[in-house]
Amino acid sequence: MAVAGQECRDLWLSGRGPLLLFAFSLLLSAFTYLAATNQAINFLEQREAVNLTLQIAVAVGVLVTLLVSADGISGERERGTLEGLLLTPVSRRVLVLGKLAAALTVWFATFVVSVPYIWVLGRGVSVVGQALLLSLVIGTVLAVGLAALGLLVSGLSASNKVSIAVSFFILLALFAPTQLPGGLPKGWFGDVLGRLNPVGAGLHYPTAILVNGHDWTQDLNYLIAPGVLVVLAIVPLTLLSDRIVQLEPGSVR
Amino acid sequence: MRSRSWLASLAAVLALAPSAVWASPAAAGPGGDPLVITVEPARQSAVIGDRVTIRAQVTNRAATPTDPLIAHLNVASLTGTYVDLEDWTAGPTQQVDPIGAGASANLSWDIQAVNTGSFDVYVVLLPNGAGSAGAGPLVTGAPSHLTVAGRRTLNAGGSLPIVIAMPLLLGALALAVRLRRRRS
Repeated sequence: MAVAGQECRDLWLSGRGPLLLFAFSLLLSAFTYLAATNQAINFLEQREAVNLTLQIAVAVGVLVTLLVSADGISGERERGTLEGLLLTPVSRRVLVLGKLAAALTVWFATFVVSVPYIWVLGRGVSVVGQALLLSLVIGTVLAVGLAALGLLVSGLSASNKVSIAVSFFILLALFAPTQLPGGLPKGWFGDVLGRLNPVGAGLHYPTAILVNGHDWTQDLNYLIAPGVLVVLAIVPLTLLSDRIVQLEPGSVR
Repeated sequence: MRSRSWLASLAAVLALAPSAVWASPAAAGPGGDPLVITVEPARQSAVIGDRVTIRAQVTNRAATPTDPLIAHLNVASLTGTYVDLEDWTAGPTQQVDPIGAGASANLSWDIQAVNTGSFDVYVVLLPNGAGSAGAGPLVTGAPSHLTVAGRRTLNAGGSLPIVIAMPLLLGALALAVRLRRRRS
């Protein structure tokens, strides 16, 4: 808890966190204004506009969380502050979990910032509450999984640049299929691929509920991949914490 | 008098014959199999941006199975509106496995009404077997009539305070944190 508190202070009082939030709000403002004024997309049904904003907020929110966590260990190494952190009388597992908790505050902050945007687009229809709950649940699951993955990459990377580049590439690779024109190819292969991709599957779930009007239980299997990502990232992160939080980069032996 | 009425009847039959053949859904199935397409709902109304589901049932009334088929959904405007099918659906074409004798295949499309006006949505069956691909004539069913009304759903003016206030607030917060850090 003390480690998480210290990490949060470093993140938010150094000005890095507020700056990221400012950039995030600029992006959401531009997108919201575009959605509300652009004649070409103004036909969008209100639920769809809310869903689009939710998708952008979740995708960018988890991206920022991933990038903050990707800087967690390799960044400390390069700035020469890891040595001081290692002197803290706590286990390395607690250290990485504290860093994970601090990175997750970025996600929760982006979620709070997205609330008024979703409200302004969705007021008048009864989807705002649903959209916010979906955003919180899906975004938190994705953020936990990706932040843990980012810390794992950060601990294993030879430099901070490599860590951030690899993490960014991972997110891009997971996010890109959702942006294919017309979505993934139809058929069983596209369906399996869509369900295996934690980001794609996670973002599909709110669409199914908000836009297609599906029941909350109808597409629950789309949440398997995000859940598996959490397990697959958290377990190695905690098991390898002693090895990855080292002064020498990439010292898993 | 009698021959005149016979001639009139013949003329009437000849005049009606092409339309009867054209209208018969079973007239031109792949491989000569009589296929019938039933589209539901026959008529519906929507507001622009709404998603509607078009269901089709393809029945093979022949004694032999069909070849593999392609079912293609199309949207035609009855009011002169330009229709870009890609905007309405990302997957207008569906593969249909061979349908057994007397059996049916159910298909459905979720489409989004992206233009206002009056439209006919219809399904065309194309043969896709080794020997029948590219052969015609094609089979089509009765259209589903769709009327789409316009609606302006988003209020640009209403979003403006949030769009401006949020970055200003967070920018001021980020600046305050920076200044505080610099002072300390």
